[in-house]
Amino acid sequence: MHIPDGYLSPATCGVFGAVMIPIWMAASKRVKKTLKVRQVPFLAIGAAFSFVIMMFNVPIPGGSTGHAVGGVLVALLLGPWAACIALTVALVIQALLFGDGGITAIGANCFNMAVVLPFTGYYVYRLISSNSPAGSRRRVIAAGAGAYAGICMAALCAGIEFGLQPLLYHRANGQPLYSPYGLNVAVPAMVLGHLLVIGWVEVLVTALVVKYLQKEDSVFFEGGSS
Amino acid sequence: MNKLLHKRRDFIERSLLSALAFIKDATLSEECANRKGFLQSLDPRVKTISLLVFLVTAVTLKSTGLIVALYALCLFLAFFSRISLIHFLTRTLLFIPLFSLFIVLPTLFSIVTPGEPVWSFHLLGINGIITRPGLDGALLFVVRIATSVSLVVLLSLTTRHSDLLQVLRIFGVPQLFVLTVSMCYRYLYLFATMVENIFTSVKSRVGVVSHHRYGQKVVAWNIANTWNRTTHISEEVYLAMLSRGYTGEPRRLSAFHATPKEWFWLLCAVIICAGLLYKGDTL
Repeated sequence: MHIPDGYLSPATCGVFGAVMIPIWMAASKRVKKTLKVRQVPFLAIGAAFSFVIMMFNVPIPGGSTGHAVGGVLVALLLGPWAACIALTVALVIQALLFGDGGITAIGANCFNMAVVLPFTGYYVYRLISSNSPAGSRRRVIAAGAGAYAGICMAALCAGIEFGLQPLLYHRANGQPLYSPYGLNVAVPAMVLGHLLVIGWVEVLVTALVVKYLQKEDSVFFEGGSS
Repeated sequence: MNKLLHKRRDFIERSLLSALAFIKDATLSEECANRKGFLQSLDPRVKTISLLVFLVTAVTLKSTGLIVALYALCLFLAFFSRISLIHFLTRTLLFIPLFSLFIVLPTLFSIVTPGEPVWSFHLLGINGIITRPGLDGALLFVVRIATSVSLVVLLSLTTRHSDLLQVLRIFGVPQLFVLTVSMCYRYLYLFATMVENIFTSVKSRVGVVSHHRYGQKVVAWNIANTWNRTTHISEEVYLAMLSRGYTGEPRRLSAFHATPKEWFWLLCAVIICAGLLYKGDTL
């Protein structure tokens, strides 16, 4: 899901950078209103937590393993706006210090994984869980459904971003200059993998973690963690 | 024993390796950044801007030859920054560019990219024809990605990570965000160690988890437990910050200093990139 440098044209990267600036500003404003000075370390440690989720490998049938992105889980725990900042922080660290995801593509990566992923997941969770009791099974199912919707929607966005490249940026003879496959290949390639495998790892991790947290600290889910 | 060694790694070993790889990468980068090389001697701000100028140029250029020239400059900079070339090439070519090469392979063939054939073969009853536009496009894609990855790796290997995060300030990133990034980075070590300890203890107690459903529960419970620890730590960290005089307004202890030599390097970088972009336009 992390788009490296060179897959997207500079213009596409610029557009996503420009789209993200007002979103980051709105997120900072919202988070400042709800998070007090006391919670600055909470946000930083929440960002570190979202980074660390990826270190947990989950066994999947067939003897293989996968890892979750955890974006929706972070949105359920911190709220979607704080999750947007926490995930942005994690993505900046990954791109700048570990070369995971491009620096020029940081706007696009943040749009997919720090906006589309947590917001879709969070609102699907809210929609399904509605006013159900904090410790109910419905909330666990809602968390799983949110995780699945969030990751698949983020994958769809990444697929569209890749697929638009050969349409918009090519030589006179039609040779693509950046990501080489059109929408007809890029979108199914990105979405199918997430619909069939990666999405289910995300469902599993998010739903099980919510279930365990319900047992230990059900008060946390009472207000829908908005 | 031999059988066990060759067995596919389970989720416990993979999680352990993920945590250890993070710590190893971060330690190695810090060790590289402390060497006395060319890029290490530059002011972090000047170095970041110059390497970003190269990165934007690499992403913008449409000529494979010119991007290869930029890649050669990366190798040159790595050599003069005392980075082992084997380590540099392994780190920059083995993962993202190799994966990109795999992705772009089908575009080499006439089925995907029609055009002048350069090579044809017959394998398992299938006729494969590699075309000139397919080859050119794939080369441009992979070379651009290898060069971009090399520039980012050069930046992260030759700059102390704490300095690199502080450089975000020059791009107008609010201090609160920079503070969050810096704090987050420090806590990554703590969490990576935590993950390592969790899975070492799981391995020492249960050895191998045979059923994937039980393994999934173990992982989920440990993520939930890590979150609970996170909330406790954040409270303790805030109290520790207060006891050290934190008032809500973060301050930096050290400032960056750029010398004329560094401004000259930045000028050279801009001239090289302008030259490459001009040459790219006229080709």
